[in-house]
Amino acid sequence: MLTEIQEGKALNPVVRHITQEKINLYAEASGDFNPIHVDESFAANTPLGGTIAHGMLNLAYVSEMMTSAFGRSWLSGGKLRAKFKEPARPGDTLTINGKIDCVEQKDDVPYANCSFECRNQRGEIIVTGEAIIKLSSDKR
Amino acid sequence: MPDKTITYEGLTPGYKFPPAVYELGASFVSKYLKAVDSVDDGFVPPLAITACAVAAMTKSVPLPPGTIAIHASQELEFFKLVPIGDTIECHIGVAQKIARGKMSMLILEIEVFDKSREKVQSGRATIALPT
Repeated sequence: MLTEIQEGKALNPVVRHITQEKINLYAEASGDFNPIHVDESFAANTPLGGTIAHGMLNLAYVSEMMTSAFGRSWLSGGKLRAKFKEPARPGDTLTINGKIDCVEQKDDVPYANCSFECRNQRGEIIVTGEAIIKLSSDKR
Repeated sequence: MPDKTITYEGLTPGYKFPPAVYELGASFVSKYLKAVDSVDDGFVPPLAITACAVAAMTKSVPLPPGTIAIHASQELEFFKLVPIGDTIECHIGVAQKIARGKMSMLILEIEVFDKSREKVQSGRATIALPT
């Protein structure tokens, strides 16, 4: 976890490689077998031109970065807003970066406001968004 | 469980899908962690819970024939941790339905409760349906 919470502080990035096997595993775990994720011949005949990772799989990597930085403060007091800009595809390597934009007090409770983005190996933005974490006293 | 009697055209703001119940056992958590390349922290990852809610949503929404659904955005708020082995109930409702040219957008509200009926997380998903 982060040892100090301060504005401008970068969060430790998370890097993950997407494979069809991982997408299939995610489909099995979540029960989301939408053919756009798991049926390569179906997906090839859609405007997307091939299978794509579940948006929630990409978001799981964002959550992993937030958990690594804020621990339980994130897991039981986190809030996020994410936009899926481009699909992640098998073969992509995703890098998730984030930083603390500001720390503010609301009703004497400190909150960290963060921004994050997930890019593929070509630098294209896959997911972008913001997160707010209610900080417990041990994280101040 | 999906409501087989509802059609996409019949979905209107305020419509509530029948709740979906999931048991978050060790096997489910283990599969999820393997899929997302993560490690066991002794509780259910909040995004694993959201994954169940989104899967319930995907199964519930009756898509017009020949369309694909694209997850365009997601808002989430986590309220409490859920121990492995607990049961959750996902409630999904239609917040908004928007038609813009060749694109339809469905905005769904998600609420997840644990077995003691305490709210675990809530969120809002935007699903784009190119036609």
